[in-house]
Amino acid sequence: MAHNFSLHGHPHEVWLARAPSGYTLHIGDHSVAVAMVARGEHVHELTVGDCSERIYVAVRGDEVHVHLDGQAHTLRYTHNLERFSGEEQGEAEAVSRAPMPGAVIAVHVQEGQSVARGEVMVVIESMKMETAICAGHDGTVQKLHVVEGQTFDRDAPLVTLERAEPVA
Amino acid sequence: MLVQNWVFSSVLIANRGEIALRIVRTVQALGLRAVVVYHRLDVGAPAVQRADEAIEIHGATPVAAYLDGAQIVEAARTTGAGAVHPGYGFLSENAGFARACREAGLVFIGPTPELIELMGDKVRARGFVERAGFPVAPSAIEDDEPATFNQRALAVGFPLLIKPAAGGGGKGMRIVREPSQLASEIERARSEGARYFGDGRLYVERFVENPRHIEVQVLGDTHGTVVHLFERECSVQRRFQKIVEESPSPALTEAQRQAICETAAGIARSAGYTNAGTVEFIYGGGDFYFLEMNTRLQVEHPVTEAILGIDLVEQQLRIAAGEPLVFSQADLKPSGHAIEFRVYAEDAAAGYLPTTGPVLMLRVPAGEGVRVDSGIAAGQDVTAAFDPMLAKLIVWGENRAQAMERSRLALRDYVLLGCKTNLGFLSRLLRHPAFAAGEIHTGFLDAHPDIAAEPDLTLATKQQLLASAALTCRPVRDAADAVPILHAAMGAWRN
Repeated sequence: MAHNFSLHGHPHEVWLARAPSGYTLHIGDHSVAVAMVARGEHVHELTVGDCSERIYVAVRGDEVHVHLDGQAHTLRYTHNLERFSGEEQGEAEAVSRAPMPGAVIAVHVQEGQSVARGEVMVVIESMKMETAICAGHDGTVQKLHVVEGQTFDRDAPLVTLERAEPVA
Repeated sequence: MLVQNWVFSSVLIANRGEIALRIVRTVQALGLRAVVVYHRLDVGAPAVQRADEAIEIHGATPVAAYLDGAQIVEAARTTGAGAVHPGYGFLSENAGFARACREAGLVFIGPTPELIELMGDKVRARGFVERAGFPVAPSAIEDDEPATFNQRALAVGFPLLIKPAAGGGGKGMRIVREPSQLASEIERARSEGARYFGDGRLYVERFVENPRHIEVQVLGDTHGTVVHLFERECSVQRRFQKIVEESPSPALTEAQRQAICETAAGIARSAGYTNAGTVEFIYGGGDFYFLEMNTRLQVEHPVTEAILGIDLVEQQLRIAAGEPLVFSQADLKPSGHAIEFRVYAEDAAAGYLPTTGPVLMLRVPAGEGVRVDSGIAAGQDVTAAFDPMLAKLIVWGENRAQAMERSRLALRDYVLLGCKTNLGFLSRLLRHPAFAAGEIHTGFLDAHPDIAAEPDLTLATKQQLLASAALTCRPVRDAADAVPILHAAMGAWRN
């Protein structure tokens, strides 16, 4: 069965199979002998082809974090179901998301309030700078996801806007 | 090394992260009791584990807890601490807090509130330094005549830099290159200044393109002695915040070094400075002028400790206890070269955006000349609640080349998994020929965007990464193990 990992935003399809000693990894048209031997907690000796190297690995859910030759990398295992289900996107609403982790320093709108395109809805603070989150289009504030003082991670929803009905 | 008969026998550390742990270590090494305050997000932090006593503080936001002077003074009272060390950031340059400590009978480990007020107000500090006969840059100060501030700012010339009068650490600073942008940028800077420092007053100063940032460590005791502890070059910055610091500066000749260091000591002496402080200068084309003075311990103080073999926190505590400095200027002889790297939770390739995540695995480098001051432990979460600096790597060598080679190995061996850090970026920076040549300035990273960019992975690296992921990931390995070897081989042909 083929499996999919995303690495630096790019999908990679791989196929792992048992081999007389260790495993064979198929990546596209290539195949290579691979093996990994634990040398301690999180510490492994990875062999790919003729080349062995000490690596560090930590797993969290579908994420595999690997330290290889002085660099940390994150790979994400993509489940097949997830790969084939497209992202559902509501046409009538739009969610403003945090462009970076930070904290909310001011909320200028309330749920149910109408806003015009470009109007400042929330002011966030990240990297010691203020950034205004403005309405992308005319509409009504359907949901406020944050309150003043709250901290959030990257891509956290801040405000959900319902698009204004076009005037008939 | 143990001290006796001091006016305090226990010290409360009003800070968090790596600096709280670093201060705890010295306090305990002197035979004193170390007390730390902590917000619940920091309950697993090394400083909290290591302190003799830890007391929880609360706040509307996590940062607000560490900024709540009244609560911290109360914590000192509750725990019987006789002194307060503010570290850097937070309340370290807050004269009101230093005064509140004094009024509560606590020894504040730092200069007097009057000195913090003089140097903490950047405008007053500039005026003081100028009057004392030391060099400063062309500027306009809002307070001189608020009604004409914008016009006077225009007259300074472009590009210019807007700074909060009460600011520090790069917060609220803005570069303006076009006269048309001036008014709106002044408004933003005012809002930021008001929020960070409770003070929206501003000043502007001519911005010198690509200058070097060179600072000088000073120490003054309460018996009138002031010495300098040589310079630190802190030119590699992003968003006005330092990333790498080193000493000695690769830019200065011996005569220039002496001139800049003696100027710093002269400024501190004119002010009657006590405790540890840092005089920051802008340096370009052989000239330098006063930028600001920080009336506290600096993040990068270990660079100075490494070349002089002096514990600056110990000196701070001894000075605060009233002891005279035991060395004179002539006794201070720097040896070798030291470089500090700040380990940040951030994505250099994505505009140095802060990152968050759990620390799944942590392994810090060790070796001759290698020191790591770290504020995190495996199992902790890196959140957006605090500054993204996680740790500092300080490397000493007999010369710059040896310090750089030791740094290369130390950065390679520094493993932190679970939250993206700038460690890979720091390795690329160290390898860059211009850095190796010491040709650095504050615009260095903007001039060399290739350092921040993630290099493309080689085919071999991709294979190694996919192999480690496939061999680690349960569903992949289980699927492979479920198929007998012969069938697996057929499967491969079938593909």
